[in-house]
Amino acid sequence: MDTSIGTGNPIDRVEGHLKVTGMAKYSSEFPVDKMLYAQAINSTIAKGEISSIDISEAKKQKGVVEIITYKNAEKLKTPDKKLPPLSTTSIQPVLQSPQVHYYGEYVGLVVAETFEQAQYAARLVKIKYKKETPKIDFKNHRADAYKPEEESDYSRGDVEAGLAEADQKLEATYNTPIEHHHPMELHAVIASWENGKVKAYASQQMINDAAVTISNTFQIPKEDVRVIAPFVGGGFGSKLHAKQHVILAIMAAKKTGRPVQLTVTRHQMFTNTNLRQHNEQKVSIGAAKDGSLTALAHEIVSHTSTYEEYQEPCGTVSKMLYKVPNNKVTHRLVPVNLQTPFAMRAPGEATGSFALESAMDEMAWKLKMDPIEFRIKNDTQTDPSNDKPFSSRLLVECLRIGADKFGWDKRKMEPAKNTNGNWLVGYGVSGASRAAPYQETSSKVILTLKDGTVLATIQMDATDIGTGSYTIIAQTASEYLDIPVGQVVVQLADSLFPVTPGSGGSWGAASYCNGARMACQNAIKELKQKLNVGDEKKMSVKELMTGNKLTTYEAQGTAKPSEAFKEHSVYSFGANFAEVWVDKDTGMFRIKRMLNVGACGKILNPKTAFGQIIGGLTMGAGMVIAEQTRVEPNFGNFITRSFADYHVPVNLDMANVEVVFLPEEDKIANEMGVKGIGELGITSVAASIANAIFNATGKRMRDLPITPEKLIMAGVEPGVA
Amino acid sequence: MRPFVYTQPQNPQAAVSAAAANKQARYLGGGTNLIDLMKEDVERPTELIEVADLSFNDIKSNGAGGYTLGAMASNADTANHPDIRKNYPLLSMAMLSAATAQIRNMATNGGNLLQRTRCPYFFETSMPCNKREPGTGCGARKGMNAQHAIFGWNDQCVAVNPSDMCVALAAIGATVQVQQAGGKTRTIDFADFHRLPGDQPEKDNTLQPNELITAIELPKPIFADHYYYLKIRERSSYAFALISVAAGLQMEGGSIAKAGLAMGGVAHKPWKLTEAEAFLSGKKPTQENFEQAAELAMRPARTLPDNEYKIEMGKKAIIRALTQAYEKNA
Repeated sequence: MDTSIGTGNPIDRVEGHLKVTGMAKYSSEFPVDKMLYAQAINSTIAKGEISSIDISEAKKQKGVVEIITYKNAEKLKTPDKKLPPLSTTSIQPVLQSPQVHYYGEYVGLVVAETFEQAQYAARLVKIKYKKETPKIDFKNHRADAYKPEEESDYSRGDVEAGLAEADQKLEATYNTPIEHHHPMELHAVIASWENGKVKAYASQQMINDAAVTISNTFQIPKEDVRVIAPFVGGGFGSKLHAKQHVILAIMAAKKTGRPVQLTVTRHQMFTNTNLRQHNEQKVSIGAAKDGSLTALAHEIVSHTSTYEEYQEPCGTVSKMLYKVPNNKVTHRLVPVNLQTPFAMRAPGEATGSFALESAMDEMAWKLKMDPIEFRIKNDTQTDPSNDKPFSSRLLVECLRIGADKFGWDKRKMEPAKNTNGNWLVGYGVSGASRAAPYQETSSKVILTLKDGTVLATIQMDATDIGTGSYTIIAQTASEYLDIPVGQVVVQLADSLFPVTPGSGGSWGAASYCNGARMACQNAIKELKQKLNVGDEKKMSVKELMTGNKLTTYEAQGTAKPSEAFKEHSVYSFGANFAEVWVDKDTGMFRIKRMLNVGACGKILNPKTAFGQIIGGLTMGAGMVIAEQTRVEPNFGNFITRSFADYHVPVNLDMANVEVVFLPEEDKIANEMGVKGIGELGITSVAASIANAIFNATGKRMRDLPITPEKLIMAGVEPGVA
Repeated sequence: MRPFVYTQPQNPQAAVSAAAANKQARYLGGGTNLIDLMKEDVERPTELIEVADLSFNDIKSNGAGGYTLGAMASNADTANHPDIRKNYPLLSMAMLSAATAQIRNMATNGGNLLQRTRCPYFFETSMPCNKREPGTGCGARKGMNAQHAIFGWNDQCVAVNPSDMCVALAAIGATVQVQQAGGKTRTIDFADFHRLPGDQPEKDNTLQPNELITAIELPKPIFADHYYYLKIRERSSYAFALISVAAGLQMEGGSIAKAGLAMGGVAHKPWKLTEAEAFLSGKKPTQENFEQAAELAMRPARTLPDNEYKIEMGKKAIIRALTQAYEKNA
């Protein structure tokens, strides 16, 4: 039993034992009676219409119970007019028409007694199409670019004037490729439909949102939808909302009268669970001789689907990270025949910071300034995008302390001057920021007194997507009840529990823990009131329970952002440092060392926090090393089909990673001073590595990933000796 | 996956007979490639004949100064065998650069020779591919071809052989022992084992129907001191080569007595650089000679729209591999 009390200790995950012994049940693993298995069928064209479906051979296979296509699918709620911008609660109609909008779109579902039977029969369904020419690469359809319905253009001052007065100007275009979230656990659901009520074990990041989506899509009361996801093997944004496979499984359960399991295949994780889109980002910067920024424009062109609108806010960081009087951000979208993009870890920041922080490095080089000093020169304690003060901002400290720890003084300002045998050695840096949001969150605490020991059970519909929610919530309850962590049980991710915003957008830790804190504080307050003792009197929970002659007691609590929170810009800040060795001949490189310094509020558990940051750093490094989804330009399918072709970093690619958390107390962020760190870790990592590659080689790499062929073919920048 | 029959013959002859009895049967070794392709619906055998358990998995001296690699020995056991590490370190190095530890543990030597291309058009049944479905056309020729051939391709097929082991075997030289129906055996020179697409891109090699590989014979080792396998790829492990070079040098009195040189990731077969090998014979191991060898080697290259980089990368890779081979134990 964990005898530690409170937050701040690097304790092991409270659910760790369940996970390493295989006892933690993920969505597809729940034992459900009379369960059927479903296999979804994907379109093999990118645009057109189904002209015929022949299910005769599939239908007669052993074990096949049902085959659903648009012809016999339940009519679901469909959007009335043009769809609003995609949100986490958007309805998810599926199999509603013969139209095909992208390669791999669901066009059918086979339900059978076994997984193998369903899979085999799915192959025997013969679908013919009337094909049309798809639009695949947005760069070939720029004329179709439009300004998103959801307003995202921003400007302050006059960028043209700011550029005109600059001593140095830079205009550069950066590209980040299509990527996929690819959490380790496949999307999966076991759905049942009984007496008009839905129960779904579904791998989701947000329980309440999933219930809303199901309820709206099937037009049933939300109270009749129960979503359960006690363990989720990663999401990275792809499990934020309930996707079409959840609806398919429920539809099949309703039709067959039996529970249905549907696990999305790894290949379908490319085609049916959203993606991060290809962004083309043009950055224009003007700076005075002394390094003060005079103008910064960030113009983004990207793609959305032909049926929904999603834009990744790549300009977020450019609006607020540096003091610049003249600033402009624009987003334009081209509808193409690919599925709708959707939020992937640090949407906007991960990609936008690659462009901004590369451009800052380019400008520092032009100014012959140290890139750290250049950033510090443009620091600000007021958010220039809205004139609100930052609740806390330690960017300069992150940069300075990081420089010291990393040995930045050993960096040569001139590129391609540091060699070691066949290696060219470079150092790179980048600044990072990520909003630290916080949302209304409710929680319940159930106290029991048995054999002289108080046990506390915390309930909320929060999820633990591998981040450590169980552990930090247990530590929080332990702190506010002043009992050991081992006497706290945390129960999560059931829509019967009090509502939370779920895991996403880096708000989980702050929201969950403050919600749990409120329930615990309320319990103590209420128990004192019952005894007519003042708030100030110190009494243990055990004394309160005994004094009230109670063996069990329940309390609820809801935490929400304060007025002060709303009056400030609340962010986490950080700095990334990378030492990269580039092979002089082969274009291959090794990231030798990485250092991340973060100022992200109170660290609830240094161990799980470290895990979050190194996960982010690895994903950020992956953006540079090789991660990309390749799309066939004529057929519109993804030719990266598995982890054999979709290259995420391997152990050998990764560096010695050091993570430093600066002590930071930010009570404006929330009462506990907690800021999310799930996304800070990935932000601007790619730029720090690309900047190190420039320092090593003199080659400025503006298109991710930086593959050997690109490095071999690239020339050095003008001005590099 | 489609249903199939699983057969476990007791000896190689029974395996060959079983194969002869069913045109839709395939031999199953480690299954690291075949099973993947069955899941992708690219391979659709109605019967799998288990040959991994047959007892030709020895790695031993062949009495003629060379070594015999059993076809069913795993890639891991072969690459890590002390005699192979000592005598054929080029082969060991190439094999250990391939795939992942888990895959190398399962994959067999015979299977490695029969690995199919990673061309994405071959893998996706909704796209055209002459190799998968003769007559449908080559999707890659007019589509995405950055990772495709620069030597020996034609409009019918631009795919490349993905093996690392085979590149080293091409540099070292070897023969392939094959069992035929009726108890007969046959020996195929390694250079003739794989083939160029020609007008039958569906055929990767020169095996006759039902023939079963039983062993790979290695010649007397001559590249044990000076060798290097250079593999350029997108990440440090578990990635196929964009370009790879196997280089072995036999040095005598400061000159190159014999060079073994082959490239991977450039052709439908492991690409032996015969002209460059001949040029280096008797030459000093100088940078200039290595550069000239690289020029000679790349001269017949013909690029596709997306893979022009392979010329520059290929030259650099050859020079670098030769340099490292020479410097090793120099």
